[in-house]
Amino acid sequence: MIELTSGILAEAAGAAGRPELALFGAMIGCGVIIIGAAFGIGMIGSKAVESIARQPEAGGRISMTMIIAGALIEGVTFFALLVCFLAVFWLRG
Amino acid sequence: MSIIRLYSAVLAEFNPLEPVVSVQLFRFSVGGWQIPVSNHMFMVTVAAVLLLIIIPLTGKSKKMVAAGYLANLIESICVYLREEVAKPVMGRHSDRYIGFVWTVFFFVLTLNLLGMVPTEKIIMLLTGRENHFGGPATANIWITGAMAAVTFFMMHITGIKEQGLWHYIVNFAPPVPWWMIPLIYFLEIIGSLVKPFVLAIRLFANIIAGHMILATFIGLIFILKNYGAVALSMTFAVGQSFLELFVAFLQAFIFTFLSALYIGSSIQPEH
Repeated sequence: MIELTSGILAEAAGAAGRPELALFGAMIGCGVIIIGAAFGIGMIGSKAVESIARQPEAGGRISMTMIIAGALIEGVTFFALLVCFLAVFWLRG
Repeated sequence: MSIIRLYSAVLAEFNPLEPVVSVQLFRFSVGGWQIPVSNHMFMVTVAAVLLLIIIPLTGKSKKMVAAGYLANLIESICVYLREEVAKPVMGRHSDRYIGFVWTVFFFVLTLNLLGMVPTEKIIMLLTGRENHFGGPATANIWITGAMAAVTFFMMHITGIKEQGLWHYIVNFAPPVPWWMIPLIYFLEIIGSLVKPFVLAIRLFANIIAGHMILATFIGLIFILKNYGAVALSMTFAVGQSFLELFVAFLQAFIFTFLSALYIGSSIQPEH
């Protein structure tokens, strides 16, 4: 919902020829992306720590899985962040 | 209007993208064509030559056991990749494709670690000339894209070789009711294009983000221009460098693991 609003804001502002509001929309987009990524990775971390506390001998496999899932989420995050950066560069130049 | 002026004021002092972009060093002509060579291409060559010299030299041991600390290090990495990364996903075929897995890991790791070495500053200290000689080669979307393209071709070619073309196409999608088959094939084909693309983007964005943050911390010194800024910036720059070394290893491992996973799921249909 917030993403939709900031996207519409960016589009309208870009079309109206004032790049600052569009920049504002792109930066809000960056912030929302980080909220999603931090939430997801935090949940993975907390579940991993809980399951290691329940079963310490599976600790190695659980931490490996946590790192892999964290890297996957971060990949998607950077992908979306790159789209935001591209929007900023298109608006500036 | 003032935010644009702030941007220009900051960029006039220091551009955080400057250490990571690829810059043409020289050009040479082959036949009728001109081939430009950039600093990232040079770093790729340096990494390739380094690996081609060091790894066979450490592998030559007169006994069956690896001798020396470098050989033991490389062997323990290779054993880990074979036992924990390749064997669970590829099963009994892992020895055919383990060369690819090892190559990807060591190549990406070497490129990432060479990106942490400030070669252009060292050359400027030694010769006094401004140059743009070495940079983080994996901070170039074309280089990571090329490696992801190799993974893409390995996925499909190994699947076709192991299962035969007809069985590979039939087993491409999980078993679903007949009316969902066109949708599932469409999604699987899009997935098989998106997975290597996200591999490329993940590695590229991690490395370039780390280097841009490092460049920004050091660029703060040029913008703020006092000694307190130097102390604070250098502390954060050291911390960021540690994080980037960790990210170099982690991203090499993730690239390798996901490549092995995709190749393994092409070889063995998952049912």
